[in-house]
Amino acid sequence: MQLTREKLIPYGTAAALIIAVAIPFLTDNMFIVNLAVLMLISIIFASAWNLLAYSGQGSLGHAAFFGIGAYGSTLIAAKLGITPFITIFLGAAVAAFIGILIGLTCVRLKEWFLAMVTFGFAIIVQTLTVSVLAPMTGGWDGIPSPRLVSPSIPGYQLIEYYAILLITIAAIAAIWYIMKSRIGLAFLAIRENETEARAAGIDPVRYRLLAFALSAFIAGVAGALQIHHIGYITPELYGVDNSFWPITYVILGGLGTLAGPVIGTVVLTILWEGLKATGITFARYVVIGVILILTIIFLPRGLVSLPEQVQEWIKRRKQKEPVTEAAAE
Amino acid sequence: MKYSVLVIAVLLIAAAFIAGCTQQQASTQQTAAAGSQDVIRVGVIASLTGPASNVGTNMWQSAQVAAEKINADGGVTLKDGTKKQIKLIVGDDESTQAGGQKAATKLITDDKVDILVGGYSSAVTSAYEQTIAEYKIPYIVTGASSPIITHRTDIDTSYIFHHCPTTDTYGQYTTQFIDQVIRPAVNKKLGAASDRPFRLALLYQDTAFGKGIQTAVNDTITKNKLNIVLVSQQSFKMGESDFRTQLTAIKATNPDALYLGAFPNEGAPAITQARRDIGLNTIFLSAENNDNAQFYKDVGQYGEGAIIESRFSPYTAPAGAVASAQDAFKQAYFAKFGTYPDMMGASTYDGVFIAAKAIGNAGTTDKATVRQALVDLKMPQAVEAMKDQTISFSPDFRDSGFDLWM
Amino acid sequence: MDNLSVFLQILFWGLYAGCIYILLATGLNLIFGVMKVVNFAHGEFLMIGAYITATVFFLTGFNPYVILLLSMVALVGIGAVVERLCFRPILGTGKLNEIFLSIGLIYIFQNGAAMIWGDAWQSVKSPYDGITIPIGSLSVPLDYIIIMVVTAVILSGLYLFLKKTTLGMQMRATSQNRKGAMLVGINVERIDIISFGLGCALAAAAGTLWVVSGQVFNPYMGSIPAVKAFAIIILGGLGSIPGAIIGGLLMGLAENGAAFLLGGIWKDAVSFIILIVVLIFRPTGLFGGKEG
Repeated sequence: MQLTREKLIPYGTAAALIIAVAIPFLTDNMFIVNLAVLMLISIIFASAWNLLAYSGQGSLGHAAFFGIGAYGSTLIAAKLGITPFITIFLGAAVAAFIGILIGLTCVRLKEWFLAMVTFGFAIIVQTLTVSVLAPMTGGWDGIPSPRLVSPSIPGYQLIEYYAILLITIAAIAAIWYIMKSRIGLAFLAIRENETEARAAGIDPVRYRLLAFALSAFIAGVAGALQIHHIGYITPELYGVDNSFWPITYVILGGLGTLAGPVIGTVVLTILWEGLKATGITFARYVVIGVILILTIIFLPRGLVSLPEQVQEWIKRRKQKEPVTEAAAE
Repeated sequence: MKYSVLVIAVLLIAAAFIAGCTQQQASTQQTAAAGSQDVIRVGVIASLTGPASNVGTNMWQSAQVAAEKINADGGVTLKDGTKKQIKLIVGDDESTQAGGQKAATKLITDDKVDILVGGYSSAVTSAYEQTIAEYKIPYIVTGASSPIITHRTDIDTSYIFHHCPTTDTYGQYTTQFIDQVIRPAVNKKLGAASDRPFRLALLYQDTAFGKGIQTAVNDTITKNKLNIVLVSQQSFKMGESDFRTQLTAIKATNPDALYLGAFPNEGAPAITQARRDIGLNTIFLSAENNDNAQFYKDVGQYGEGAIIESRFSPYTAPAGAVASAQDAFKQAYFAKFGTYPDMMGASTYDGVFIAAKAIGNAGTTDKATVRQALVDLKMPQAVEAMKDQTISFSPDFRDSGFDLWM
Repeated sequence: MDNLSVFLQILFWGLYAGCIYILLATGLNLIFGVMKVVNFAHGEFLMIGAYITATVFFLTGFNPYVILLLSMVALVGIGAVVERLCFRPILGTGKLNEIFLSIGLIYIFQNGAAMIWGDAWQSVKSPYDGITIPIGSLSVPLDYIIIMVVTAVILSGLYLFLKKTTLGMQMRATSQNRKGAMLVGINVERIDIISFGLGCALAAAAGTLWVVSGQVFNPYMGSIPAVKAFAIIILGGLGSIPGAIIGGLLMGLAENGAAFLLGGIWKDAVSFIILIVVLIFRPTGLFGGKEG
């Protein structure tokens, strides 16, 4: 009874969808529903980061796009009085535009350089938000953000949960489509070997910028959703922690795969809340750090590769055993 | 060997994972069991991890000391004469907005607390105010110093009570103190005319906290037409430890005094660097949360001429009922944790007493009744000096009035 | 005080800030040169170095400038362990992996330190506290002179070590051509461990100097200086030690200038603005070679 990859994917997807839809029915505990909302947002955010990494560009400052999307959406919604359901995409468009700008400075840069520029960019954006842009953004004080679904509507929490679930599914489907399309192939080609890609007629600059724009857009949607869920926005959103979390999720789940960010986020969120319930404080981060490092060293393709890896080890064990027994005799 | 390490690691992770899941179940079961209402459940929201963990831990520990004292004295008396013990439940906001929201939702919906106390950073607190508004849980904010907390109009803040002086209060009190006490003294010392304008310099943290103080100082001077000129206003980013450049610029303007809108970890090195490295020998004024033991230890020989406004200070309080209450609190805290409480700890300690008193007055844990009890509350000051020696919340923005010392 | 002396004074503080950055950046550069890996968690070694110095100082009351040596030796050991356990297994598996691994190390070190030493801010008092020396129109505390001298001594020591000793020459050989070095019989894995340890020791020195200069420290102190140190070596060109020194000074001056002219909030941002502007025009840094 082999669980093949082909079987695992449709079953896994179906199971995940059923659980996601059923969560509000399984528990009447709003804490769980709220946690699930935040988890869905993290999944979108991690997937956005993953898409950029898929094109071979590792960003250390994705909180910048998360925050720009959030601020953009909040300001547009507050100033023009449009429903947040529309402004999350407008805010994300602002993030995508800024993403292209920062992408332009990055297209010639490699790994560490890119990481540094994106990291610095998040700090610059935060500084601008609290200084030059303060009249608009409220500076460090922040500004209230309209709710995605007004609390005056009965059952608004469930409406909000399903709305965010739908957006999450749409985002993942979009990323799946991008990865399967010619664009995704071009991303892969650039990541693996830029010279060959160029020889095959792929313009790396164009596709790098496209990756930046798409990733920034999706990250912006995540940011806008989170802030419309919380109802208040402050520049802490641009913090380093917020840039690091999606990376941790993706690495644990599996870099460059569609399911990686989802699995990584779900597992880490449950683990995190579980550790929190035991009452430990700093040790939580130590555990996460150790898991991250162990994953990078021993499971470089993340949790998604775990079934294959386990099968491989079992196979190898079986091959090894007769040899050792013979040696013992 | 590689695989055995991996297997062990995987097992450990799995164990933690399972522990996590069961823990959560356990806590929900616990909630169900506690539905019998034999204790009063007080939720404490504090930053136990992240950048604000130092203050957050202090707040949580102070709350524990308060609860122990209340319980040792028999607990809270309800209307029907029964006494109930207090049970504290902590929620770690991780010093982030999302963390704060998770903590608040968990305390309210999962742990089913009757009342909430705590909240440090204004940014984090603002993230779950709407959760408080939705569930209509009385919340006594004891740490966030931005006046915005209770001034928001986009949501219903009527269940939120602010027991912590705001940056407005800090700035206003200190500026008036400068005008009334320091200005005449300095002019006298310099032998200058009594109408000589006082030269004040400001060094503030570029955050809601520091900027709030800056605005308050500026407003107080303009509004009351005080004879003070702000000769220099320098800012620094939160967590900064090198102030030499700003201090050099300040020194160049020859101020009579320097007002620091800073946290203790910034205030202490700023004063040390000003005196030792820059040779800036003026009067230093600090915002109240600089009032902790480490601050005095650090500033050490350079602390001469430093003035701190305060409402809780084991270190500067005038003798009296408040001072002895503070001393008792300090000793109890030290006996339990081996360190001393600081400002935010003190207001959280007060906060737990206020929560107990309000529930006692209301005679029930019904949220709306407790809220009304908080509105009507008049209780004697505990470890912090209050206006008219009474803790009560203002009718407009539900702020409590503080009396600040220098 | 006239404008000129204000300017000179700020220049001096920039120079002092530059010293700490140079030590950090040189350490990073040394590691990069030999192993071609970048450790974003380098600042955590600065933090550990600071805590070791402070702990020994609180226990024994020795002169912190003497404890500096002890702290450096301890960090050689810690660095070697980290290299062996974390970086060796992922050598050659892709450059992004090092960045991700560093994030894990940051989590572990910061929170581990908070568990051991607590998360409260602390400070150490230098024995030369309060002694000032007049230089021209400035009066400069003795500590800063010592800090600059110590930095210069460490850097010249490192220079001599790399130029004159066999080990140093082996390190340079490995950094120039790893395969070639293996061919002539150099144990490159040993060289890796030694250079990683040395780099960490330089970070410990930076941490100690940070502590004695009257700045407070806590477990989270390391991350921003480390990223800036990394910005500096990119600015100066990866692997170029003179580049790191010039970049470090430049950054120290620019930051203090920005804090003076634009306000303290710009202190971090200005480093990255400079970095981005430089990278737009020179994608390999000011002194970088063709390798990117």
